[in-house]
Amino acid sequence: MSILSNRLLTKYKKIDYILLFSCLTLVIIGLVFVFSASYYTAEEDFGNKFYYLNKQVIGAITGLICMNAVILIDINILKKLYLPLIVVSILLLVLVFIPFFSIESYGAKRWIGIGHFSFQPSEIAKFAFVLFCAVYLSNSNVNITKLHHTIPVIVVGIIICALIIMEPNMSVTVCVAMLMVCMLFIGGVPIKHLLLCLIPAVIAVPILILIEPYRLARLMAFIDPWATPKEEGYQLIQSLYALGNGGWFGVGLFNSRQKYEFLPFAESDFILSIIGEETGIVGCFILFCIYVTLILKGVKLATKAPNRYLSLLSGGITFVIAIQTLINLAVVSGCIPPTGIPLPFISYGGTSLVMFMSAVGILLNVSSLCASEQNIAKPHIINKRVRK
Amino acid sequence: MHITNLTVRKRLLVALITAIFLFLGIFTRFFYIQVVWGKQLRQKAVDQWTRDLPITADRGLITDCNGNVIVNNVTAYTVYVRAKNVVDADKVSTILSQHLNIDYDRIYSKVTDKSSSEWTIKRQVSADTVSALREYNLEGVYYATQSVRNYVYGDFLTQVLGFVSVDSVGQTGIEAYYDKYLSGIDGALLTQSDLVGKELYDTSMQYVAPIDGFTIQLTIDCIIQQIVENVLKVAMQAHSPKHVQCVVLDVTNGQILAMAQNPSYNLNDIPRDDISTLMELSRNTIITDIYEPGSTFKVLTAAATLEESRKGNPKAFDENHVFTNNSDVRYLDGTKIKCWTKHIGNKHANQTLAMALNHSCNPIFTDIALALGTQTFYGYLQAFGYGSKTGVDFLGEQAGLLVDEQSVTVNDLARIGFGQTIAVTALQLAVATAACVNGGYLYQPYFVKQIIDPVTGNVVKTMYPTLINRPISQETSKLLATMLQGVVTEGSGKQAYIEGYQVGGKTGTAQKYVNGAVATGKNISSFVGFFPASAPKYLCLFIVDEPVGVTYGSVVAAPYTRMIFQSIIDYYDIAPIQP
Repeated sequence: MSILSNRLLTKYKKIDYILLFSCLTLVIIGLVFVFSASYYTAEEDFGNKFYYLNKQVIGAITGLICMNAVILIDINILKKLYLPLIVVSILLLVLVFIPFFSIESYGAKRWIGIGHFSFQPSEIAKFAFVLFCAVYLSNSNVNITKLHHTIPVIVVGIIICALIIMEPNMSVTVCVAMLMVCMLFIGGVPIKHLLLCLIPAVIAVPILILIEPYRLARLMAFIDPWATPKEEGYQLIQSLYALGNGGWFGVGLFNSRQKYEFLPFAESDFILSIIGEETGIVGCFILFCIYVTLILKGVKLATKAPNRYLSLLSGGITFVIAIQTLINLAVVSGCIPPTGIPLPFISYGGTSLVMFMSAVGILLNVSSLCASEQNIAKPHIINKRVRK
Repeated sequence: MHITNLTVRKRLLVALITAIFLFLGIFTRFFYIQVVWGKQLRQKAVDQWTRDLPITADRGLITDCNGNVIVNNVTAYTVYVRAKNVVDADKVSTILSQHLNIDYDRIYSKVTDKSSSEWTIKRQVSADTVSALREYNLEGVYYATQSVRNYVYGDFLTQVLGFVSVDSVGQTGIEAYYDKYLSGIDGALLTQSDLVGKELYDTSMQYVAPIDGFTIQLTIDCIIQQIVENVLKVAMQAHSPKHVQCVVLDVTNGQILAMAQNPSYNLNDIPRDDISTLMELSRNTIITDIYEPGSTFKVLTAAATLEESRKGNPKAFDENHVFTNNSDVRYLDGTKIKCWTKHIGNKHANQTLAMALNHSCNPIFTDIALALGTQTFYGYLQAFGYGSKTGVDFLGEQAGLLVDEQSVTVNDLARIGFGQTIAVTALQLAVATAACVNGGYLYQPYFVKQIIDPVTGNVVKTMYPTLINRPISQETSKLLATMLQGVVTEGSGKQAYIEGYQVGGKTGTAQKYVNGAVATGKNISSFVGFFPASAPKYLCLFIVDEPVGVTYGSVVAAPYTRMIFQSIIDYYDIAPIQP
């Protein structure tokens, strides 16, 4: 035990504290606002105003443990585990459709339940896919400038997307698709090949709309939510009311009016509306700054990482956070059609929180390696040591 | 493969810059929503955050000219439930069904139905029942006070007052015409609530006080109205007519002192379930129905010829002219106009105008109308307000029917002279006759004297007499009043005579038409009377529609006018006029 804590201590001496504190600040903000946004509905629906907060606290503690575990491990173990991890992720995504494990909610099968424990496989799949891409694209046998060498990434990406869209979960699918493009981009795939990859995506959108026409109605709703104030437009209108009510400085912590059942998913996908209502544009600005700091640090880390694998891994993780945050922000403010995607670190949801905190653990792990390297001054020397 | 190559670094930076730009773009959007658009969004949102319990303003009172309250309000309760706040649905349903006499299942289904925030269980529940219910302290059950219209005298001034809808909006009569003054402005109790209307804890309530409706003071005199209502009942019993109606005017200013009709109904027990009966009984026939007046109309013809002769019109006959055509018929364009009685012996012979009025001799009035000619005669019809609405403050007034001046035939003109081929409202005839005897002033009749603020007692609005026209001179009017006094003293109106009070008047017995033909045995008998002739004050038009048995106005209507006048004299202790 003391060996473990000593090792953790040595690691902690070298990690990027700004990254750590950005992440922990977001988690704490999340706990405060999950409570603020949910206590009324929790009391109404479960008779316990701490119902959501309790679950989120458990998620945060689990997340903290996982994060520290990830900081401790030798990051190269993940490199060896990438294949089993991606296979297990895909299997878990398949498990969602098996009645015994499946939990259905709002007409979608997104959760797996074992006893009291339940989680969302798609949250795991995102990161497994990043790992897969990072390992594959950093493989010296792969010449990324050749088109056929990108095929494994695209195939795995499409399998994951296909499984998630069947849940159905449009927003996470879009998220994974964007992540795939992003990984190929930072992995160095020639731009023309990337454009080629975009063609199926361009074709897929109208087909998806044709298959499930309600998507078109949803698509239109964000342009003029007041055209269908009780149906498609409702969620967005309520989000706008919340943000508008916030004004410059907000109505004050816990004083949101929209959380009184007016705004659905106030504690999860639309938690930012409540934050905007209670803390105003000033609060939103500060929050955005924290996210941008996190992303800046993540990208900086990626550029300084000792090798291409770690560079792609930390870059990928950073952009999972960036993509998902941006989609959530755009949905809440009505820039894009409303879809349900949680705000990283903040929205209610245990799996998401644990996964994002663990992912930050990877970034912190990498940052400690960078720091060690900087101390010794010459990057290639530490690189050799790592590769031993 | 060595360390991160340049391409990856470049690409990472490009991706980072893209992300930061997107953040900036979205932040701009947030800024727009929260700061620029915010105020407007908040205003829209406030609507859904608050729930207001309306507090109904009390509807204004209606009083008579002396301030006696005719219509006021009594408090009743509305019992309603909010399913979301109900704790014990079974207990609530059981108790409510016991006390309100409503089926348990019906209440239970509402108590448990959360699809609406509120369900009304029963309206117009008495205060006693509600205080009994309050004892149980039922959660989720609420009581809203509601003011219900109360007509102090029941079936009294019914068609004039009119009635209100269940939610207290004036539907007919004064209630409808003066609704904007009577209704007041509702207040509200604003509470903060959640999506389904459940009240939030720890939030302040905002009370907006209601403003009660204004008091309407009528020109109606309760005493005279009661007299008229009673006399109408007597006439109904005596003659079993289809319908009787009466209006009493103050001829000096056009104020309506009494207006009633029978059959009628109790305003506190409105037959709302039987719409056609309600529509029939609630119509104020004196204002909204027209009829052929018959001989009462001769007053106007007399006024026209007297005034014209004063103006020096050679075609007009003055009061001294003796009509020498003693035949009881006149032939016009091949049609025959007869007097109501055969001129046998000396009957209706060598009459003056006064005698013709006494006898109600038709041929003389055809002679007058024909002598004056269409243009002059129509001038008087219009000057007295025929063919146009009187402008009374009441909804649904009719203008009457007047043959178009361009197409009027000799026959038409002759008949109008004694009240046929013309349809008028009873109110038109009353007002015009008043102008004939009051010195020649045609006033606009009106029901409302004053509108009063019940809180301060200040008069908000006063209605003054409105002079519409001056069709005849003081002198002519005086002369005519004397002639009409003669009709009562020695003519067909003897039954209206009251010693010492100079009652004047004119009888009328008009034929009724069914499908364009004269319906035998169906008459409208009427009497228009006034007193005292030397300085007229009260005018009464009494109309009996289809009396059974004797149908002459002199017998069927004149005695009731006398009864009304006698009661007024007795009640107000009016001194007789010394000869």
